[in-house]
This record gives sequence, structure tokens and C-alpha cells, in this order.
Amino acid sequence: MALLQIAEPGQSPMPHQVKRAIGIDLGTTNSLVATLRGGRPVALPDEAGSVMLPSVVNYSSGAARVGETAVALAAQYPADTLMSIKRFMGRGREDAASDAARSHYQLAAGSEGLVRFSTSAGDLSPIEVSADILRELHERAVSTVGGEIDGAVITVPAYFDEPQRQATKDAATLAGLKVLRLLNEPTAAAVAYGLDSAEEGVIAIYDLGGGTFDISILRLYEGVFEVLATGGDTALGGDDLDAVIAEWVVQQSGDPELAGGQFRQLLAASRRAKEQLSDADSVALDLTGVLPAGGSITVSRETLETLIHPMIKRTLRACRQCLRDADIEGGVDNVVMVGGSTRVPLVREVVGDFFKRAPLTDIDPDQVVAMGAAIQADILVGNRPEGDLLLLDVIPLSLGLETMGSMVEKIVPRNTTIPASRAQEFTTYKDGQTALALHIVQGEREMVSDCRSLAHFELRGIPPMVAGAARIRVTFQVDADGLLNVEAREEVTGAQASITVKPSFGLSDDQITEMLQASFTFADEDMQSRQLAEQRLSAWQLLEGLKSALEVDGDALLSPAERDELSDQMTRLQALIESDDADAIRQKTDALGRRSEAFATRRMDRSIREALAGVSLDALDEEAKQ
Amino acid sequence: MSQAEFQRNYFELFDLPVGFEVDQQQLGTRYRQAQGELHPDRYAGASAHEQRLAVQYSALVNQAYATLRTPLSRAIYLLELRGISQQELTSQPVDGGFLIMQMELREKLETSADLVDPEPVLEHLIAEISQDIAAEQARFGSSWVAEELTRASSACIKMQYLDKLLREAEQTEANLLER
Repeated sequence: MALLQIAEPGQSPMPHQVKRAIGIDLGTTNSLVATLRGGRPVALPDEAGSVMLPSVVNYSSGAARVGETAVALAAQYPADTLMSIKRFMGRGREDAASDAARSHYQLAAGSEGLVRFSTSAGDLSPIEVSADILRELHERAVSTVGGEIDGAVITVPAYFDEPQRQATKDAATLAGLKVLRLLNEPTAAAVAYGLDSAEEGVIAIYDLGGGTFDISILRLYEGVFEVLATGGDTALGGDDLDAVIAEWVVQQSGDPELAGGQFRQLLAASRRAKEQLSDADSVALDLTGVLPAGGSITVSRETLETLIHPMIKRTLRACRQCLRDADIEGGVDNVVMVGGSTRVPLVREVVGDFFKRAPLTDIDPDQVVAMGAAIQADILVGNRPEGDLLLLDVIPLSLGLETMGSMVEKIVPRNTTIPASRAQEFTTYKDGQTALALHIVQGEREMVSDCRSLAHFELRGIPPMVAGAARIRVTFQVDADGLLNVEAREEVTGAQASITVKPSFGLSDDQITEMLQASFTFADEDMQSRQLAEQRLSAWQLLEGLKSALEVDGDALLSPAERDELSDQMTRLQALIESDDADAIRQKTDALGRRSEAFATRRMDRSIREALAGVSLDALDEEAKQ
Repeated sequence: MSQAEFQRNYFELFDLPVGFEVDQQQLGTRYRQAQGELHPDRYAGASAHEQRLAVQYSALVNQAYATLRTPLSRAIYLLELRGISQQELTSQPVDGGFLIMQMELREKLETSADLVDPEPVLEHLIAEISQDIAAEQARFGSSWVAEELTRASSACIKMQYLDKLLREAEQTEANLLER
């Protein structure tokens, strides 16, 4: 474990010190960072006092400029100012081409599969652009909370697929953040409200973000937040509401050809009109800089509502499906609104009618996600007593394998609670077949071509047998971030292959490492002392953890010989910790880590027994002594 | 990984009696207690080894809960505990009368889309299938208690057929609502 706390060489980290945890809402339109102060989540402002950082990056000078500065340059440098970049995360080049054209971006030629934008700072992937936004928020957090951040929770739309999640995690790593967890945006919002009310019941989270729509149904019961179902539309958001207004304006103005910069300006004006129409009955949309003639056009609330009504109805389709999937008796107890576009009165009205509940809007819909993420980060970093709120989330889309005839066999169905592990047996198709090509896909449709392709890998070394005789067990494991690991094993020979799913359009681990190294401005010497400090810290953490574990369970779970051996190894590491030899400390730490695995397993077994079977502690002690 | 844990059956995992009748309230409470202890979130600061264990245990508990929660997966699992695998189950003959009834129900479902007012027909169909499912569940329950595994297996196969049909009927109804 690296980068938990970074201490200066020679200065040992303080035990039981409150750790610095942040939650980041990496939004399509705006991004925010929040942390806990006095037990309450607060969004952190920039120097000008603004908490919302527009998710816009300008590269016209060759360097990244993020936020309002970039927005101001958007009209002047449309191809160098990247906005709504989240829409391109984890997507393939062909898939993204039409969106890019609409946004007036230049896609870099040549790079197969990968989306890259041509800018004055070179060809950039959406991951790198997102990393620039995250870096800005990271710096803001460091300067406001006064120190390096120990861990961050980054939110993603619940409906994000595997590559989109992986891309987000990669971006955060690139920005130098230690990612504690990827958290679904609606779940984060529910946490923020849950902490507030601690009211048990079923909650629907309606999240109309800038670029995506998510609906989640959760139940808070006995201290556990259980996501019952989630759904949505990754290609529908507040941006689309702006676009439909903009298109209407173009139509009303006699369909003039607009240049990139002009269209950008029109979109911005449309957004302002949409926002103002939440209070006003009609507004004048300024066309200066958009049309050569300039002037303005009047938009009434009625016009707005007619324009956006079909899109809101589209969101209800996902809500209906989600309610069916959640399979709850009775309706929902509360509806929470998330995302700036839920300020539009028509949205509130339609959603309220649908769920037969007046939507909750107590927490700022723009900030609620970041706040929930901050709470979760605080829990994960270990600042709260155990037994605090637990989140059980689900995977949004089914995961499966390609079988004969380009059909999909679903292995982990959507809305399965994570972490999840599912295994299924497959067999060979031809006599004497010695290898198996596995194609992992994600989606709900029957045919492979209609699903998202995640990864290909091969299992080799199957002994030649008649068709159908080999038994190949394929195990899918999804971790708490929703990321997938697949393992295939031939049962007779034990031939084995595994893959951690990395998006075909993402970055390889090597690429990330390379970029990380390139982004470090440290001199070699600094790097070395940093490494030493990190090694000392992980050694220290392992020792502290083991010491307290031994105190509690050493007698019950270890034989005297085992205990002595472990203590001996600990003493040796302790003696080494103040030396300057980072490599030696690492080796000894790893060795002790391996040596203590059996002890850790026994402790875990003990917890599971206590938790699951309700066996009393005394009975277990008796058992251990026998 | 401790082998012992994974050899325990799902009922033992939640300290529940092995059987088709399951106290859902108790199952839910035990499940939440277990996740409260084992979920990887509780081990976010622990060693890599412990984190891996937490993912595996937590996934096991999730699967056990999902299996015991719904009657069909519970029935399949009970038969599995008695050595009757899913493959054996599907290879068993199904009585002809039931299959003909299935085909009739399916035909009703497929033609419903062409009706002027398909909704009441679909609703009636869904109610009919649900009733059949309840009847087969009751048959499974009593066969299980009486230790009549052949009868239980036959009920379980029918539950599978009917469950699939019910899902399709519900999907048809959902598509209809979107039109």
C-alpha cells in the first residue's frame, strides 16, 4: 500500500491522527471537491469563493487552463477548449466521432481505437483532460485543508460501464490522487441525505446531470444503504436540454450556418435562458456574437417546457424500468433531486407526479453528490468509528461471455450487489481443441454485436479431448469499485488464465506509470527521499496493525511458536525502519506481510463466524483452544 | 482463503434451518450484519491480503443472500445440496400436459401484441402465470418436507419454465407501456 500518508524523512507519522479525505464530483459540466468539517460535508471554494469548477480545459497556450479561465477562452479557441469531456470517457474512436463533430473538436488521426483530441498541447486522451480537471481540484483541496490528501472518493454515473469507470480511475491516478473508491453519483447523493435524516425507507434518486441521467432506488435499513436497482441513460443530460433550446433558436432564426465559436456561445446563452426560466416566465436570449445581426429572441417558459418535455418523458421510461427491477412493495418514501437541471420546475413537477411524492431539494442539487462522496471518503479513510453507515451498491449492466453463434451468455446480471463473484462452466466446441478464446462483453442484449466489448483473452494448454469433454470454469469477480476480473481454468489439467479488464480504448498500466513519472516534477533525489518515506510509512502501518491484532487475537489464534516467529520478524523490521535503505525496508515489509497472511485469514474467519452464525465469542475461544 | 467457510452451505452461513421456507426478515438482518463486518469498505485501510479476502467473503455473502432470497434460486440450490445439479434437472423429462399448457400461454403472449387493447389480456395472463408459480412453489415445499425429491425436482423445473414466461410477459407489458 502506497501513498496513504506522506511523511518527511525522519518524521514518523502520528498515530490516530485524523486523515484528510475528500470527495470529488467529476461532472460533465461542473466539478466539485468537498470534505468534512466538524462532521458536516462542505464543498471547498476556490480563491474567488466559487465552489463549482466548470469542467472545461483550454490548451491554447500549450498548458492546461481549467475552469472559468478556460470558459472565457472557449469562443476564441473552440478546438483548443475541451468541454463535456466526460461524454468521451472510456469510449472508442468511432463511437465518439459524431459527438466530437457536434462539439467541434478535432480528433487526432491514426491512433486506432483510442479517442484523442488534437490540441495545441498535443494529442490528448479524455483521461488526460479529466486528469487536468482533477489536478486542479486536488490542488484546491491541498491548499484549503492544509496538507496532502490521504484518500479520495470519485463519483461516476451509476450507469457508467466498465471502461468508463476504469478511465475515471486512471484519470484520478494521473492527477496524483489515492482513490479509495469509485462511488455511484446517485448513491453519493443518498448518503448525503441519509446522513441528514437517518430515516429508514426507500429512496429514489433522480439525477439529471450535465451529460447523463441516472435513476437509482435505494433502501436505508438497519444502518445499511442497499441499492436495489439502478438505471439510466448515458446519452441524456442537462446539456441536451440546452442543445434543444439552441436548435430551436437556430430554427427560429432561419437556419444560419454557425461556426464553432458561435455555436458555443449560443449553447451558453441557451443554458442561461434555461436557468433563468426556473424563476421567470420569459427571458430575452441575447444573440450578440451568435448571429451577425445580433439582437435577441424571446423564450417563454411554455416554449421551454414544450421543447424539453419529450426528454423528461424519456427519463421516466428509465424510472419505470428501475422501479420494476427494484421489486419493492408499495412506492418510494422519498425522491431526491440531483443535478442543476432538476431546478427546472417542469422536471420537478413531472418527477413528483410519477413517484407521487414531492421531491426533496433541501441540499443544493449541484453539491449533494460531492458532499456524499466526502462522507464516504471520511468513512473509508478510517476517521469514523466502525459500524457507521455501510453502502451496498450494484453493477448497472450485465457482464457476460460470447458463446457460439455470437450470442451472449450473461454471467453477472445487472443490479447484482457488489462485490460479486459468479462462476460458470463451459466446454470445447471441436474435437482436439486446445485453446479457448474468451470474449467478455457488457450489456443487456442477446447478440455480441449489440453489447459493449470489454476484453479478449485466451486459455491455452487444454489437453486434446473430444468436443464437449473439457470442463472450463470461468469466474467473474467484480470488486467494490465495480471493476471486473475474469479467470478461466480447465478443471482436468488446471490450465489457467486470467485478465483484469482494461478497456480496449483506455490506457495500459505502463502508459499510466510513464505519464505519472513524466508529471512528477521532483528531482531524482526528491524522488528517493519520497520513496523512502513511503516505505517507512507502509512498514510502520503494517507493524502498528499487527501489534494491535496480536494484542487482541495473538493468544487465541496463534500457537506460541507462530507467535514467536511473527514477533521476531516484527522486531527485525522495526530495527530496519530508521535506516535509509528503502529497498531493504520494502523487502522486509513484504516478507512480514506474507508471513502474517495466515494470521489475517484466521482473524477474518473469526469475524465471519461472529457476524454470520451469531456464535458467541466464548464459544469461539473454546473452539480455538481445543 | 479458508476452505472451511466456503464448504458451509448458504443456510448455515446465515444460521438458518435448511429448507424451502425462509424467514425473509431474519435473512435480511443476518445479511446486513454480515456485510457490516466483511464488506471491503471495512477494510479500506487494511493490508492487500485482507482487502482481497474481504472482497471474496463479501462476494460469497452476496451470492448466498441472492440465492436464498428468491424461491426459484432457493429451490435449485436445495436440490443441488442433495446432489441434483442444474444439468440433471434440465435433462429430466417434463410431463406433456404441462408443456402443452406452456405453449398455449406462450401463444397468448405472442399474439397479445396484435390486439387492439392488449393490456387486460396481458394482465390476466400475468395473474394466471403467477398463480401457477405459487402452486408449483407449494408443491415444491410439501415435496421437500416429505423428502420426495423426484416430485420436488419436477416442481422446480416447472417453476423455471413459468418464471421465464413471467419475465417475458412482464417485459411485453413494459414495452407496451412505452409505446
